[in-house]
Amino acid sequence: MQVLLINNDGGGFADYIEVPDGASVQDVFTEKVGNRPASDYLIRVNRQPCASQQILQEGDRISITPTKIEGAG
Amino acid sequence: MLRFSPTAWAKLLFLRDYGETEVGGFAITASEDLLFVRDLKLVRQVCSWAHVAFEDESVADLFDEQVDAGLRPEQFGRIWMHTHPGNCPLPSQTDEQTFARVFGQSEWAVMFILARGGKSYARLQMNTGQGASLRIPVEIDYSQSFTGCDHESWESEYLTHVQSHNSKTLFNNQDEDAIDFLENEFRFDLWDETDDFLSQTQRQEERNDHDD
Repeated sequence: MQVLLINNDGGGFADYIEVPDGASVQDVFTEKVGNRPASDYLIRVNRQPCASQQILQEGDRISITPTKIEGAG
Repeated sequence: MLRFSPTAWAKLLFLRDYGETEVGGFAITASEDLLFVRDLKLVRQVCSWAHVAFEDESVADLFDEQVDAGLRPEQFGRIWMHTHPGNCPLPSQTDEQTFARVFGQSEWAVMFILARGGKSYARLQMNTGQGASLRIPVEIDYSQSFTGCDHESWESEYLTHVQSHNSKTLFNNQDEDAIDFLENEFRFDLWDETDDFLSQTQRQEERNDHDD
């Protein structure tokens, strides 16, 4: 099945990817981000916070975006 | 070279000067030139005069909105912009840590800082291959058409995204946090300064008692 993935790492990505039926959010995160700390990212499905074990459905939108962006002068 | 359209630059100056705090956002660039800034977008953020922190949810919202608008992540998620108080645009330790942690996994990214006094800093970080880091010049491209200022829209964007963290509140209610903040950010030993002040005050009081 296909899900839409939005990810800023690497070359940046916003496109549909093929994932196996029964794939979880964790599966996609591990495949696309590797072993980076999950706490460095906000992971949402269909613009909502999600559990790592949430099973993806056809057409879901997963976004993996950076967290804790702060600057100081 | 990091280029700004005249309109994007005008908006940046407006947002920098609208409040007394730092402010930050992401550059929106042209699809054919990823170092040409044609707009900038704020995300919801909590700011003080020398600090800015983005809301994670709002960053995710920006990514969703821009993708829906047909942009690629490299057009809106690679140039991190924020302002500094005073006239020093050089990145702080916090800036460097954020840039490495947040943008270190992208193929490339730019940290852009505009000081209130007008000086700017831009650094392009390449994270592929051997990697490279270089300062790049900043230019306003006046060959591009100036579409005019939209103060009403810019003001609305500022007011709906920027939450000012009043420095007076910081010092009145969270003294320990404030001291940690100052020491961490400015390597400034507040206790030494306070001790000097108290010593001078004590000596002055002793002199007053003596005179009485």
